[in-house]
Amino acid sequence: MADEAFREQALQHLDALHNLAVYLTRNGSEAQDLVQETYVRAMRFSHRFEPGTHLRAWLFQILRNTFLTFYRLREREAAISENGVPEGDAPMFHDAPSENSERSGVHLDLARALVLLPEEFKTPLLLAEVEGLALEDVARIMDCPVGTVKSRIFRAKERLRTHLKDYGERSRG
Amino acid sequence: MANGIDEHDGDADLVRALRALPRHRAPGTFRVALAETLAPPPAARRRRFAMWFTPALSALATAMIMVMLFVPRLPPGVPSDPIRPLARAVINQHARAIWWGESRPDILNVVLPHAMHESGVALNWVFAGDDHIQLVNAQPIYLEGRRGMELAYHDAHGHTVTYLILPLPSLTLPERGRLQIDRWRPHVRKDGGFAMIMWKQRDLLCVLISDLVSDDDFGRLKDYFVKVRSSTDPYATY
Repeated sequence: MADEAFREQALQHLDALHNLAVYLTRNGSEAQDLVQETYVRAMRFSHRFEPGTHLRAWLFQILRNTFLTFYRLREREAAISENGVPEGDAPMFHDAPSENSERSGVHLDLARALVLLPEEFKTPLLLAEVEGLALEDVARIMDCPVGTVKSRIFRAKERLRTHLKDYGERSRG
Repeated sequence: MANGIDEHDGDADLVRALRALPRHRAPGTFRVALAETLAPPPAARRRRFAMWFTPALSALATAMIMVMLFVPRLPPGVPSDPIRPLARAVINQHARAIWWGESRPDILNVVLPHAMHESGVALNWVFAGDDHIQLVNAQPIYLEGRRGMELAYHDAHGHTVTYLILPLPSLTLPERGRLQIDRWRPHVRKDGGFAMIMWKQRDLLCVLISDLVSDDDFGRLKDYFVKVRSSTDPYATY
């Protein structure tokens, strides 16, 4: 595939990659760095991509591997403030939609709960349920069997429900 | 129900809630910057064409410089006259014999063995002379990096005829310039006012040289050649 065409196709998945990068890094500027590094690597190794296969999954795989290699090592444990929102140099949800307060509250609680999930649970959950990737693709990205992916997604949902339950009880006082 | 998610209908509600989360789209400025970062620079596109051209041009330029530097230093090709340098050396030696050569016919029985011993050229027979030409001296010489012998003759007209004998087994006299003299076909040349008759005997180069270049004088030189050639039998002792 010509470089120009490959680049154009890869950039079509920028928003999806940026979305996952934000959840992984929990920091807006680091998410952009991660995405840029991902694309640079993708262009460098574009010859390894098999045309006709799932480009989006391939990009997610590069992004996750880059995150694990470079960002996770220097990632400090995010300071969780008393209201459960991680402290960082950029707000995480700068483009939150203006909805009714109840729905916004649900979103915020769910986002906070996602932050608390370990990466091994968060990534497959987002890839499968939010990005709509097939479990086989998720397994390839996670470099684990499909059964493990299912198990992690199940446990991720359980933890989310537990966290959300805690938030709900806390809000009711 | 906690936070809008039914605990009993967990999965579907949770998944709906996850999918309803705000998407963190890439900011426009970041999108533009990323596209510029990934795009190849304009020079690189032009360079794609010249990728092979520049190294090829450099290699060609280097080759040309090497040729210009080293070709003049190569040894000259085989000269058209391979004997010429040797002939020049023979002429110089003959000139030295004319200017500084001694005439010592009375002690030839002493100088001749000495010359044979020092030169490494021995003589089974030697032409000592007749009424027309006389052997007057013998001495070892060093010519063209080789030891040899020089026999000096004086003819009745006062001309010096020098007979040089040098070990040169690898030398081949050219066919061009050969002259039939009696039963031999030696190589004959005239150069710088001197006439030379050259031949090979065993691995030795023999040269008879004198200033007898006119037709009549050269006729006498040919006679001297016949006398010397038929009466002298040199051989190398080493």
